Amino acid sequence: MSLESPESSEERFAHKVEFELNGSPERHCVPTSATVLDLLRNSCGKQGVRASCERSVCGACTVLVDDLPVAACSTFAFDVDGTRVETVEGLAAQDGTLSAQQQAFRECGGFQCGFCTSGMLMLTTALLRQNPQPERDQIREWISSNTCRCTGYEMILESVERAAELASAKQQDQVSE
Amino acid sequence: MRGQKLGAGLIAQSQSALPPFTLHRPTSLGEAVALSRQHPKAVIAAGCSDLVAQFREGLEPEVLISVQRIKELRAIKNDAGVLRIGSMVSHAEASRSHEVLSSVPALAAAWGSIATVRIRYRGTLGGNLLSRRYRYEMPVILSALGGQMLFQGGDVEALPISSLWDRDSLWDRNLGNVGILTAVTVDTASLLWFGYERSMRPVSTVSLAVRKDPVAGLTVSAVCGSEYRQPFLLSHTAEATDITELDPVSVGGVLAVQLPDEAGDYAGSIDYRRHLVGVLCRRLLAEATGNKGKEG
Repeated sequence: MSLESPESSEERFAHKVEFELNGSPERHCVPTSATVLDLLRNSCGKQGVRASCERSVCGACTVLVDDLPVAACSTFAFDVDGTRVETVEGLAAQDGTLSAQQQAFRECGGFQCGFCTSGMLMLTTALLRQNPQPERDQIREWISSNTCRCTGYEMILESVERAAELASAKQQDQVSE
Repeated sequence: MRGQKLGAGLIAQSQSALPPFTLHRPTSLGEAVALSRQHPKAVIAAGCSDLVAQFREGLEPEVLISVQRIKELRAIKNDAGVLRIGSMVSHAEASRSHEVLSSVPALAAAWGSIATVRIRYRGTLGGNLLSRRYRYEMPVILSALGGQMLFQGGDVEALPISSLWDRDSLWDRNLGNVGILTAVTVDTASLLWFGYERSMRPVSTVSLAVRKDPVAGLTVSAVCGSEYRQPFLLSHTAEATDITELDPVSVGGVLAVQLPDEAGDYAGSIDYRRHLVGVLCRRLLAEATGNKGKEG
């Protein structure tokens, strides 16, 4: 006599997740306990989402879910079902042209080892969507959500200010065109 | 499925080691209540910021009920002198809510100052309270305001937030099932003033509320929080009719001396902590009474 229930444990502990990732539809079946970090790195191949503290503290895994910054390490994959997810891989244009945020971080030396940079870029993206011209205090408050062990933060703050300038200039160019 | 034996350490080897569970995602409170009755040992999940950390610390539930999709748990109302905040309201939503801003503006300001921007968007009121972590700030903030937690589907209907730390309570002795936390209520009708001091966090934080006493006088309720010890409730009833009659120095002293010896820890002796809490209470009371010169 089998002790197995009619539903196998694989089925019982699996969940279907459908969402939009960097503008493209995704559909996966993942364990119920899979995090967004598992989903993006292992099932979607987005290695720009970094695993570090796994406690929602360091922000290296920051991605955007419906425009808001989220720690992928501390969010279950089932919670992004039906949402719009963005990772650092979706920032640059199809032809490789860097986004304003990426260009600013490069210009201002906003990274050294680069491990935290994808999270910093996503946090910057979310901030500039909410406030295209943030004051330094607000930038400081946002950036303090994430940890950088190399730069000392000053150049990251400058990078975010520069990103706001570049994004504004880009928008004005588009309007004048 | 777990890659590391339970109890072998606080941190799992990797994110892949989280144990799987049977998942339920109800879309109505009625459905969630029925599920919680059917699975009394189920874990109720909200924003999950803390819950995932609990998994990494060894939590292995068989059933998880996610209340993310229940819209009625996201409501904020302010009716007849009672502010009611749904348990699924995020910290960011609460700190910007018109109802909170218009009824207790200092509560909105305090709420918007906790954690980080990223956590404020994801973390919820219910998760912050029921994770029962000493270092979390909403129990400290809302206990001083006399906040009440409302439940459905369990053995209790309401509990004061301060009961989260009661000894011999159902929390520590598994005396019952609380069911689903639906909302927190705060009586705003008798509230005269509220403020929160977190400049000395993590050593000490203080939230302080002044209310009209139902019988006579004014009641000052302060809650002292810290990183390493449970929050402690301090209280004083003064024979005053107006908030400006309160003396920040004497009331601050009366409150600080109530801090029990167990509030002392490796970050500060009890003498230091009483001194610090006295200073923070005086600072808040000076602001409450409009007499900055009486901070002491």
